[in-house]
Amino acid sequence: MATLRINGQARDIGNLDPSTPLLWVLRDELGLVGTKYGCGIAQCGACTVHLNGAPVRSCQIPVGNLTNEEITTVEGLAAADGTLTALQQAWIDHDVPQCGYCQAGQLMSATALLRNNPNPSDADIDAAMSGNICRCATYTRIRRAIKSVSTNRTAFYDASAQGDRV
Amino acid sequence: MNTKVTPSQLSQVDAFFEDALSRQAAPQAPVLPPLNRRQFFKLSGIAGGGLVLGGLSAGVTSKAAAAQAPADLSTLSPYVQIKADGRINIFSKNPECGQGIRTGLPLIIAEELDCAWSDVDVVQADIDQKKYGTQFAGGSTSTPTNWMPMRQAGATARAMILAAAAKQLKIDVAQLSTANSKVLHAASSREWPYSQFAELAATMPVPEANTLTLKTREQFSLLGKRYTGVDNHAIVTGKPLFGADTVLPNMVYASYTKSPQIGGLATSFNEAHIKSLPGVIDAFILEPFAEPRGFLSAAGQGAMFGGVAIVASSTWAAIKAKRELEVNWDLSKAETGTWDDLVARARAAVDQDGPMEVVNKGDVAGAMQSAAKVVSAVYEYPYISHAQLEPETTTALYTDGKIEVWAPSQMPQNGEAGLVAIMKVTPENSIMHQTRIGGGFGRKLANDYVFEAAAIARRMEGRPVKLQWTREDSMTHDYYRPGGLHSYKGALDGQGNLTAWQDHFFSHTLDGKAPMFASELSPTVFPQDVLSNVKVTQTLFQNAMPVGPMRAPSSNAFGFTFQSFLHELAVAAGKDHLQFLLGVLGEPRLANPEGRGSMHTGRARNVISAVAERAGWGKQMPPNRALGLSFYFSHSGYVAQVADVEVNAAKEVKVHKIWAVADFGFIHNMSAAESQLEGGMIDGLSQLFNAKITFNNGVIQQQNFHQYPLLRLPFAPQLDTHFLQPDEFPPTGAGEPSVPPLLAAVTNAIFNATGERIRKLPLSELGYKLV
Repeated sequence: MATLRINGQARDIGNLDPSTPLLWVLRDELGLVGTKYGCGIAQCGACTVHLNGAPVRSCQIPVGNLTNEEITTVEGLAAADGTLTALQQAWIDHDVPQCGYCQAGQLMSATALLRNNPNPSDADIDAAMSGNICRCATYTRIRRAIKSVSTNRTAFYDASAQGDRV
Repeated sequence: MNTKVTPSQLSQVDAFFEDALSRQAAPQAPVLPPLNRRQFFKLSGIAGGGLVLGGLSAGVTSKAAAAQAPADLSTLSPYVQIKADGRINIFSKNPECGQGIRTGLPLIIAEELDCAWSDVDVVQADIDQKKYGTQFAGGSTSTPTNWMPMRQAGATARAMILAAAAKQLKIDVAQLSTANSKVLHAASSREWPYSQFAELAATMPVPEANTLTLKTREQFSLLGKRYTGVDNHAIVTGKPLFGADTVLPNMVYASYTKSPQIGGLATSFNEAHIKSLPGVIDAFILEPFAEPRGFLSAAGQGAMFGGVAIVASSTWAAIKAKRELEVNWDLSKAETGTWDDLVARARAAVDQDGPMEVVNKGDVAGAMQSAAKVVSAVYEYPYISHAQLEPETTTALYTDGKIEVWAPSQMPQNGEAGLVAIMKVTPENSIMHQTRIGGGFGRKLANDYVFEAAAIARRMEGRPVKLQWTREDSMTHDYYRPGGLHSYKGALDGQGNLTAWQDHFFSHTLDGKAPMFASELSPTVFPQDVLSNVKVTQTLFQNAMPVGPMRAPSSNAFGFTFQSFLHELAVAAGKDHLQFLLGVLGEPRLANPEGRGSMHTGRARNVISAVAERAGWGKQMPPNRALGLSFYFSHSGYVAQVADVEVNAAKEVKVHKIWAVADFGFIHNMSAAESQLEGGMIDGLSQLFNAKITFNNGVIQQQNFHQYPLLRLPFAPQLDTHFLQPDEFPPTGAGEPSVPPLLAAVTNAIFNATGERIRKLPLSELGYKLV
């Protein structure tokens, strides 16, 4: 009987077909539906999770290949008491989501970026986020949210120019 | 064929949304239920009895009341409940697909209810025509059509609370006022929370709509500011919200495979092998129903394509088995069209008129004859796919003559009607629950995937079935934005004025008579509406590749062709583009006074002038770099855009910045409106550079994002958005009108920078690359 370490907990997955992508194990077997299916070929990034801290496309990882890796999903970002990460809070405050379907994957990519590089340049952000499609095109707000929690909050975007009425 | 369309006739797209909206409660109609429902509901202990949620697992948010057990709860109306602890439930009636309506509509109610937004929990209303009128997400109609009803709903509940307070406190109602979820008595400086009167308020007579006092715009305390989405917290923590997040006990999983050649019928498949695969529970052929090539029947008549269903113990088992499927298709009635052939046929006929007359007014031939200059050009754009990130999915349970589905549908009421048709159940036994929609863009106005899930569930009676389309299913079985060609001719007089307009439009027909959905040309598209000499004809190809509405249907293509050709005419006239455009618009007036939803040329002029000013139109630009201008009016919204574009010798295009000025009337949630404007602009840029769907012998050639690339973050330009908010106009929808002008703003800039006119999409096929 196989076990995975997900969001700091050991999760029993029974005797699953080892070819099953991690994505579907998370969604169908473990009820962690925050990770999304978008394309199945690592093109869209909606299924991004962390494997030992690095962002990976869970649609491409057969569960049989996993042994002792530490897996983190969007459900595991916040603290156990529900306290959000600064990036999650920035996503809310900058009102990033439109439909929201891609945003778990976006957050996982951005979280990994900032963990390794707390002060990313525009080029760093481009490189880290280019694997995640947002069909609603919330890209300007994704940039702004990432910048807002980076240590050197360079203004990419001047929110004061955006015509607040009140 | 020679069909005449009168200028006053609504376009097919407009007519469709008008029809859908005709079921909407009229703005002045009472927004409350009949008397027998107006009673105090004590919901303690009857969880779910009156507190209807959007599905078992979906629709629950941090701001939603659903997660907690119902406390003492007073129901004032289908829209407003007040809890003993002071929290206020506001029901959001329409589907949420990213346009922000689950925040926007409750905000409007909250404003007139005069409550604090922080006291509000938003609850997704279930589908109920009697309670809520039309519930759908399309045509940028949710905000404008619900603006008055939502205000009345809030004001009604407020009036009932005030009446209850007056009775309970024995104070004349005229001495009481409200603010921040409190009743105030100024004379005694006392205040009480709404919850103190809620129980009595729920029993008060419902005031007539004409007795309500609505706030003036100056009195708004909530509307007009920036609000973040009510589901943001649930989204960033990965809570179940979307269609495929639905989990039901004992659920099984399904895939569905249709003919790659559109319309083919499955006659047999390797059934024994498929059924022998691990996890496979059943596999069977489903017959088609109704006319699935037509969008309207796929929206509301139960129409679906035939195919092979595989039911399995997990999504992966269903998808894995699908890959081993071998199907024999009867292709005798399948589509046989090839896009390149249709383009060639059109190009052979661009010098003639089409057989179908769309509009013919004034004396076009005379104006062409006496013109100082006649300009002609042919424009071409391809089919494109919605490519919403959430592939089609539905969970369905069929038991004992009753079908219940959980679906991300933009048009759930039509879905329920379609389920009645295909499942042969009574209307009461057709139940659809709204989940959040992971991107719609018009794709999920069709309910074909809902009907497929239901048809599979019928075979699995008693067990819930979750149907999951693959990305490949989604891209090869869309209701596409149809491709088309326009052969334009324009006449300029000696002063460079536009005196005549001619267009031969090539599109598609299913029945050989009428254009398919979004394959028609409305007689009132600018500048046809403001010119005296106009002749528009149409050729319809017998080509029924499925097409349907996509974000700003028709306009998303016409914005490119019309606004590019207008720029060509400005150049030929030797005039500045801005001055030429303002000249064609003429004096401020309704362009089409008899028609509903007419463009006002004054509002058009204002957004064009404002965007030119913001972008510094006319300023000196560096070499190989130029500004381009475009304007489009659609869905009652006015949007003008200027793009700052640099092109190098290798045809690498850098879009430095795009300015947009929009007039959507009053903006009640600035954050959502800005999101829609920005998203639509980048959507347009994505279409411009890369989007193309082709078909050979009825088979779609693109399967996934590697063949149909969407714009990614590094290529998103800097955007400057601004809204004119003329005092006298209520809000119109922001979801769609931002797309149409974008393409021509960029291609006109490319012309200004390089002298090369773009007359065919996408740019990637012409050697251009976005950098």
